[in-house]
Amino acid sequence: MQKIMIIEDAPAVREELALLLENEGYLPLAVTDYTEIPKQAQREHPDLILLDIGLPGQDGFSLCAALRKALPVPVIFVTSRDAGLDEVRALSLGGDDYITKPYSVPVLLARIKAVLRRTGGGPEPNDVLEAKGLCLSLTKGVVSAKGKTAELTRNELQILACLMTHPGQIVSRGDLIDTLWDNQIYIDDNTLSVNMTRLRGKLAALGLPDAIKTRRGMGYQL
Amino acid sequence: MTLGEFLANRMGRIALWLICAGLAALFLFSTGTQPGVLVILLLVFLPVFGAAQLWDFYRQRAYLRELEAIWDGLDRKYLFAECALRPQGIYERRLFDLTRRAGRAMTGAVSDAEASKREYREYVERWVHEIKAPITAARLLCRDLDGDTRRKLTGELAQIEAHIERALFYARAENPEQDCLFRQANLGEIASRAIENHRALLIQSGVRVETEHLDVTVYTDEKWAVFLLGQLLQNAARYRSGEPVITLFAMPLGKQIQLVVQDNGIGIPAHELPRVFDRGFTGSNGRSRGGSTGMGLYLCRKLASFLDLGLGIVSREGEGTAVTLTFPAKENLTEL
Repeated sequence: MQKIMIIEDAPAVREELALLLENEGYLPLAVTDYTEIPKQAQREHPDLILLDIGLPGQDGFSLCAALRKALPVPVIFVTSRDAGLDEVRALSLGGDDYITKPYSVPVLLARIKAVLRRTGGGPEPNDVLEAKGLCLSLTKGVVSAKGKTAELTRNELQILACLMTHPGQIVSRGDLIDTLWDNQIYIDDNTLSVNMTRLRGKLAALGLPDAIKTRRGMGYQL
Repeated sequence: MTLGEFLANRMGRIALWLICAGLAALFLFSTGTQPGVLVILLLVFLPVFGAAQLWDFYRQRAYLRELEAIWDGLDRKYLFAECALRPQGIYERRLFDLTRRAGRAMTGAVSDAEASKREYREYVERWVHEIKAPITAARLLCRDLDGDTRRKLTGELAQIEAHIERALFYARAENPEQDCLFRQANLGEIASRAIENHRALLIQSGVRVETEHLDVTVYTDEKWAVFLLGQLLQNAARYRSGEPVITLFAMPLGKQIQLVVQDNGIGIPAHELPRVFDRGFTGSNGRSRGGSTGMGLYLCRKLASFLDLGLGIVSREGEGTAVTLTFPAKENLTEL
């Protein structure tokens, strides 16, 4: 399990963040004592540090420099200041990424994942998803079942991928749209219906006409 | 100042002199002086008096010209009295000193006003940063709620953030040099950040956003451009019609890049179009729907001029609106 050190002075944010990261399968480590943070980091050896620049009584930039000197660990700056110079300064001091408050949860998680992957700590993203007899190749955009294959469009691919990562669970239309927007596909409800019909058509051609079930009033289920 | 004006101003003095000369001539004539002598006297005194007037005229004009030159060279005109040359005459000097004292009082008032404006701006910025911590906490807390409530609450939080952003940029627009940072930026990245910032509003409004040919590099301040584009997206979502679609696409325009934000919304009446960038202008659409502040596009125009962005709008009622943002070519960037 990967250890993420949270250096954040607002208690509500700190606690919720720790909870969120725990639910996502990380091992959060919330710092409450802001003295000698580099030493604490050396003792704990986290895989990633989330550092709030606006700590009471000290400068987040110099803290980052000290942290980078103490141990080779990726640092993501979190800040409520969004002055452009801050960003340049943060990245030039060896910060690996920079995110401004208030961040949306998916964006934060995606950034954490990206930095961990880049620094070699995280697992490679899965290219092939398998569920309910379907096999989906994300890079090729091809779904196969029973020895037959079908090519999917970008939208269909993301819809199917979202359903396949939650096999057996009901995924609401709202959640599907959210996931698509996360992937820079900005569609509306009607377009989702159209894409869903096409996707079902392609799955039917593979011999799985009822792979995606509609749960009235709740959403879709694989 | 022309010679005519100068003489007109001295009319009283000249008339007085003429009367005195006439009286003197009358007196001399009645006491038996020869008329020939009087003519000689006149021929001597007249040029002397005329020369004195001309000398005065040229001195005054030179002084005024010098003052004009100083005025033209001044950056802050209210410092004029500090820089001007002190005049010679006692009366002029007194007047000048009074003006100078008035100028000093003005300078004090101006710097006081500037200081309080700066303080206020700093306070707004600090406040904005402080309010972001509880919003972040609220966003994280939302995660535990079930789908629908979460989405609605996230939407409301996003609205709060949009209002805060506007306040922050309004404060910043007063002194944009402090924050502007021109760099290479990817237009697609700017667009996706702006869409991400307003996704709750866009999704709730049932908007479909199409992006085309946005993978181009522009030279701009990314943060400001994201804000500006966000205002346009919010407007497009707010003034939508039946099946709302927002299309973002870029095209080269010579060396410049033009970004078009096009919607199929309710459009703007032609007679209101010239005023949409005015401060506080809400228009018939804003009034009939409510929730319009008349600030969004005003801020857009203000920021666009600092960013050297060309901002244009075309609209047809019932068909939609297209706003164009023309990003400057790199060579044309003025130094900020």
